[in-house]
Amino acid sequence: MGFPNILCQKNRILLGELVKTDFKLRYQGSILGYTWAVLRPLLMFAILYIVFAKMLNFGNDIPHYPVYLLTGTVLWNFFTECTGLGINSIVGRGDLIRKISFPKYIIVVSATSTALINLAINLCVIIIFALINGVAPTWTWLLVPFLILELYLFSLGISFLLGAINVKYRDITSIWDVLIQALFYAVPIIYPLSMVLSSGSFGALAGRIIMLNPIAQVIQDVRYTLITDATMTTWSVINNPLLRLVPFLIVIVLLIAASLFFRKKSKHFAEEV
Amino acid sequence: MSKKKHPKSPLYHKNQKKSIGIAKQAINSTEPVENLCKTCAKQDKISGNPVDNQSSTCANPEENSENIVQKAQDSVQKPAKNPVQNSENAIKVTGLHKSFHLPTERASGLKQAIFNWLKGVKGYTEHKVLSGIDFEVKKGEFVGIVGRNGSGKSTLLKLLAQIYIPDSGKIEVNGTLVPFIELGVGFNPELTGRENVYLNGALLGFSNKEMDAMYDEIVHFAELEPFMDAKLKNYSSGMQVRLAFSIAIRARGDILILDEVLAVGDAEFQGKCNDYFASLHGGQTVILVTHSMENVRRFCDRAILIEQGKVAAEGSPEEVAKAYENLWQ
Repeated sequence: MGFPNILCQKNRILLGELVKTDFKLRYQGSILGYTWAVLRPLLMFAILYIVFAKMLNFGNDIPHYPVYLLTGTVLWNFFTECTGLGINSIVGRGDLIRKISFPKYIIVVSATSTALINLAINLCVIIIFALINGVAPTWTWLLVPFLILELYLFSLGISFLLGAINVKYRDITSIWDVLIQALFYAVPIIYPLSMVLSSGSFGALAGRIIMLNPIAQVIQDVRYTLITDATMTTWSVINNPLLRLVPFLIVIVLLIAASLFFRKKSKHFAEEV
Repeated sequence: MSKKKHPKSPLYHKNQKKSIGIAKQAINSTEPVENLCKTCAKQDKISGNPVDNQSSTCANPEENSENIVQKAQDSVQKPAKNPVQNSENAIKVTGLHKSFHLPTERASGLKQAIFNWLKGVKGYTEHKVLSGIDFEVKKGEFVGIVGRNGSGKSTLLKLLAQIYIPDSGKIEVNGTLVPFIELGVGFNPELTGRENVYLNGALLGFSNKEMDAMYDEIVHFAELEPFMDAKLKNYSSGMQVRLAFSIAIRARGDILILDEVLAVGDAEFQGKCNDYFASLHGGQTVILVTHSMENVRRFCDRAILIEQGKVAAEGSPEEVAKAYENLWQ
């Protein structure tokens, strides 16, 4: 049942088929189909852009602000989609769990993979946008996949933990819906971090705490490597070298703890789901 | 779990070829009963078992019915001898216990759980389903498990299939185990017939390549050639069962566990199922859970009666079938 099993051929085949099924079923019966994968974040971006960049004049000091904003919304969208699918995956696949025996993590990994595929499509859109907007491609772009992997592992940790609890206590879905709304404002997606840092001593402290959040760290780092050096990152905001590692530690500790918890709970999924 | 045979192992492929052969045989045979007797005779020759009243599935049961009633009543106390002797165990179950938590008040919410916890209320009652099951299945044996509704058969099956974890006791499985708790696991109404075949195949442990090789035969056997690109939701229930069944009989393992779900469909489909059971007889280790005493008498080498979570009778199909029928008297 452990992670080495992920290399086993039988599990790989099963994972592949489940990912294919999830992806096919995703936009089943809609006219625009897969186009929605791109259209959704683009529409959200359009709303945020009109409200915050045009009406409220946010981000005047940031070069390529539209691309900057789009990158933030796409990554945020990935995080919400990934955790949403992951948390509900075990309950949603209850029919399989009750009838055959297989490693349960495959379900969570396959559900979250759909979000990963959508992100890959959206990254292509971002790159096209960036090039149109006059962002010069650099070698640092190659670091982006690693940052996305970090965000994916963080989402996977949350999915394992909350997905396992959700089997017994379905309140988790509702709690997470509210929590994710709060998290949205705790991550500098629409507002520039500089606005927080420059608003008094509380703002300066809040801004630093915000940057310890792995989501904020990844989003800012992707913006830094992809778009502009003017982006404030965890590295530039926090001076203590140990504190700079906090976002990574959160991801690693959460993933390990959540996997162990999930593994323990998964033995009884068939009875409880 | 890691004991399962790797799909690339030579045995896996050998078994698969065998399965295709069986499918052909099943199509060609028009007389299931005749086919069964042939298989039986063959089996007796191979295993060299004495064909006595108790182990023979071919013998006409009515002939010795007087005699057997007497034996069946005895058998409730003492388990009968095993027809397949000096053979290795395929499955050995010792002291198996399983109970479930049945919620007494609605404890599915976080709030209720906290209240219950504060008040010291457990919020569930324990329902004992299996209390000390012991049995063995030898390699190559066709064993029937019978019992009333709610006697714990399905729980036992799910424990064997590793879907549930036992509270205590041990299940030793020697070889690959392929369980069929239900036909068409994972079938999705929104996918086409073709897509469902590959999905179901993956759940049974087949690779895409193996499915490609078997695909035409599966479709042909299910007689669904013109409908494979239609969505499953547009299939009739009979078509769905036929498709699921044609995939299921391709699955090969050292041990097959079949729930009574295979006993659905019309007369023709029943015939196919019976051919399939008959084809498994001799060599293949099978555990069949059923309510049909007719099937027990026809296919099983041995049977086990489960009553109130315990083995109530174990022995020849005839004895156990009688014991089962006596439950209502």
